[in-house]
Amino acid sequence: MGVISNVLSAGHYYQIGLDNFIYQFQMEDRVSKKISIGFPIMREEPGEKRVFLPDFIRKMTEIGFEVFIEEGYGNSLNFYYDDYKNDNPQIHPLEREEIFKQDYVLILRSPHDDEFSLFGKNSCLISMLHYPTHPLRRKIMGKNNIQAISLDSIMDDFNLRLVENMKSVAWNGLEVAYTQFEKYIPNLIREDGTPWKVLVIGTGMVGKQAVEAASKLGRKERNNEHIRLGGPGVIVNSVGRNIASHAEQMIALFTQSDIIVDSTQRHDPSKPIIPNEWIAYLPEHAIVVDLSVDPYTPETIPPVVKGIEGIPHGSLDQFVFEKDGPNWEKTIPKSIPTKNRRKVISCYSWPGIHPESCMRHYGQQLLPLMRVLFKKNYHTLSPDGLYFERALFRARLDSFVKRKPDQKKI
Amino acid sequence: MKKTNNQKITIGLPLMHLECGEKRSFLPDFVRTLEKCDADVYLEHGYGVRMGLEDSAYSEITSRITFVSGREAYRQDIVLVLRCPSDNDLRNLRAGSCLISMLHYATQPERVRFLRSLGVNSISLDSIKDDSGRRLIENFHAVAWNGLEAAFRVLQGTYPKPGFFSPDRQPIQITLLGVGALGAHTVKAAVRYGSIPLHERLARENVPGVIVTAVDYDITNHADIMLGLLSKTDILVDTSARLDTTRAIIPNEWLAYLPDHAVILDLSVDPYQQIQGDNYTKGIEGIPQGNLDQYIFTPDDPIYAKIPGFVHTEHHRNVVSCYSWPGIHPKDCMQVYGPQLRPIMRMLLSRGGLNGIDPNGRYFERAIGRALLSNWIG
Repeated sequence: MGVISNVLSAGHYYQIGLDNFIYQFQMEDRVSKKISIGFPIMREEPGEKRVFLPDFIRKMTEIGFEVFIEEGYGNSLNFYYDDYKNDNPQIHPLEREEIFKQDYVLILRSPHDDEFSLFGKNSCLISMLHYPTHPLRRKIMGKNNIQAISLDSIMDDFNLRLVENMKSVAWNGLEVAYTQFEKYIPNLIREDGTPWKVLVIGTGMVGKQAVEAASKLGRKERNNEHIRLGGPGVIVNSVGRNIASHAEQMIALFTQSDIIVDSTQRHDPSKPIIPNEWIAYLPEHAIVVDLSVDPYTPETIPPVVKGIEGIPHGSLDQFVFEKDGPNWEKTIPKSIPTKNRRKVISCYSWPGIHPESCMRHYGQQLLPLMRVLFKKNYHTLSPDGLYFERALFRARLDSFVKRKPDQKKI
Repeated sequence: MKKTNNQKITIGLPLMHLECGEKRSFLPDFVRTLEKCDADVYLEHGYGVRMGLEDSAYSEITSRITFVSGREAYRQDIVLVLRCPSDNDLRNLRAGSCLISMLHYATQPERVRFLRSLGVNSISLDSIKDDSGRRLIENFHAVAWNGLEAAFRVLQGTYPKPGFFSPDRQPIQITLLGVGALGAHTVKAAVRYGSIPLHERLARENVPGVIVTAVDYDITNHADIMLGLLSKTDILVDTSARLDTTRAIIPNEWLAYLPDHAVILDLSVDPYQQIQGDNYTKGIEGIPQGNLDQYIFTPDDPIYAKIPGFVHTEHHRNVVSCYSWPGIHPKDCMQVYGPQLRPIMRMLLSRGGLNGIDPNGRYFERAIGRALLSNWIG
C-alpha cells in the first residue's frame, strides 16, 4: 500500500497516491482555482423527478466548490435557475456536455453507458453505480478511465452504508400497497374487525425496515388514525431462507396473507424464491409488493429473474399493476410463467416516489463526505484516513476492482 | 471546560464496579486514540484485567498513560465509563467535568437530577445520534444475537417431542413485541437461531426454520388477537420502546396462555421502579430482571420472590433477561464500541472539550450536541 504524502515544490503541489503515482497539481488548482462540481439532470423515465435541492447546492459553495448545474436542472421539482443561483457567485449554468468535464460530477442514478465518454480526463463521477451487479458498466467505465465513487459502496468500518434510503424503499412500497386497500376499506378497518396480515420474505436491511413499515400501515399518520378509531392493527410474519424454501409452510402462510413482500437478496438470482404457482394460494384481494426489484435480464448468463415469478417490473412511471392490466407482460420475458396473478406494487426506484424528501435525506448524508472530497481527490483518499475518508476510499472503483473476490458480494 | 493548547485535557477511565460478570473495558487500541489526540489518560489500576489484559497491555502502546485509583480516575476533566457508575462513584466527579456513559436520560429521571445536582455535564452514549436520528453508539446487533442465542439454548431443553432438533417438528414460532431498530436486528437474529453454526446445521438437516410474528404494541390492546398468538408461541421477545412504562404490554395473567415450554426473552430490559408514587414496570409483567451474573431463570427460580410487590408474578415461564446483553462477549462488544466512539472523542478533544462543541457545527459536533445533559429537557 502506498503512502500518501504532500510535497510542495516550485509552485507545484504534488500528492503521492496509494498507487505510488505522483499526481501534480498547479498550486492555483488547490489554492486559487476552486474545485468544480457538476450536476447533470437524470435522463430516466418521466416519473424520475429527483434533483439535489437548492439548499444542498448552496452548501456545496459554502464548502468551497464552484458549482455548475445543467440548464433546466430542478425544473422537474418546480425549481428554477434563480432558486439555485440566488445571487451566489459560485453557482453557474452549463450545457450538459460541459457538466461532465468538471472535477466532480454528482448524479444520483448512473449516467447512461454512452455518456461515459463525455467525462473529462480528471473528472470523478459520484453516483449509485452498483459495481457488483453491473459488470458491463464497470467495463465501460474502465475503458473510459473513469474515476468513480459509487454512493452505494460508501461504507463505514462496520460495512454499513452511509448513503442509503432503505427506509424509503420499505415505507414507500408499503404505503402504496395499503393505499390500494384504503380505496375501498376506509381507515383500513374491515367489517369483520380482523387484523391485517403481512408476510415479509427476507430479513436483510430492507426486510427489517419492511417489518416496521408493514406494522404501521405504511404511514405513521394513517396508523395513528387507525389506532384512534380502534382498528385491530397488523400482524407481520417475517421469514428467512430456511422457511421460504419449504413449500408447505409457505403456502400455509400465503393462504392467510393480505400482503406479501419480497425483500430478499438471493444468492442465485437466476432462480425465483416464489414460483408462480404459489401465487394461486394468495387470497384474491392480496397484494404483492416487490421491494427487491431485481430486473429480468434474459440476455445475461445465467439470466436473472425476479424473486417472485411472473410479476411485472415497475418504474416511477407505473408502479401499480392490476392483475388484468394491459402492461402486465410488457416487462416480462415470454419464457416466464405469469398465469397466476395478484395486484402487484413494484418500482425500480422506490425512494423517488417522494422526490423532495428523498433528496433532502441524501443531501444530509452526502454533506460530510463532500467536505472530505473538497480537500482530497480520488487518488489521495486513504484507507487510513479519518472516518468519512475511509468510507469514501472503499467506494472507489479501483478499491472495488482490487478487492478479493469473496469481498465483492452484494 | 475548554482547554487551550497549553493545557492538556485529562481523561479518566475507571473500572465498572458492577456485577462480577461485567468484564468490559475499552481496549488498548482505543486508549491509544485518546493519547494521540493529545489527552493525558488516567486508567484505574487493573483496567482490562477482567478481559485478560494486564496493565502492561496499555502502557506498552503509549507512555502517556497513568494508572491511578478509581477515585482519581473520576477526578479528571472527562470521565469515560460504558455503564453509568453508582451514585457513590459519581460523587467523585468534579463540578464542571464531563461524564460520558450510557445514561438513558429518558428512563432515568432520578439520575438526571442527581447529575445536575453535582454540577457536571454529560454526554449520554445512547443519545449520540446523527441528523436522521440514528444512534451512532449502539450494539443492537449484539443485544439481539446474544439474547436469541441464550433463548434458543433454553428452548432446546424445553421443546416437547419430537424435539428441537427433529426434522418432524413444526417451525419455531417467535412472537416479537416492538418493531423499532432493536426489533429489526431481532428479526434477522431470530430466523438464524441467534447462532450461525446452529442455523447452518439445522438447515443442512432439513429441520423447519423460524417464523417471526412481529406486532407493534398497539395491537396488544386487542386481547383476543394477542392470546391467540401467545398460545402458539415458542419464544416471546420484548424489544418494545414504550412511551408509558407504567403500563405493561403483556399483563402477567396472559403468560398463562403461553405453552409450558415457551421461553420469554427480555431485550428491552426496562426496570421495575417506584418513583414519586408511580409504578414503572417491565413490558412483560412479572418476569425477573437479569444481569451478566445470571440471565437464565427457570419458572421456580427464587428470584421471583424478590420482584417488587406491586408487580403481578403469579404466572411463570422460563425467562432469559440481561441488563447488558452485549457484555456477554466483552471483547467483541468493545471492538464495536471503540471504533464507534473514536470519531466522537476525536471531535471532542480537537475542540478542546465540551465547551468548544458547537451543537450546530460539524456532523459529529451535532451528534454530541444531541446527547448533552445541558440540552436535555426533563
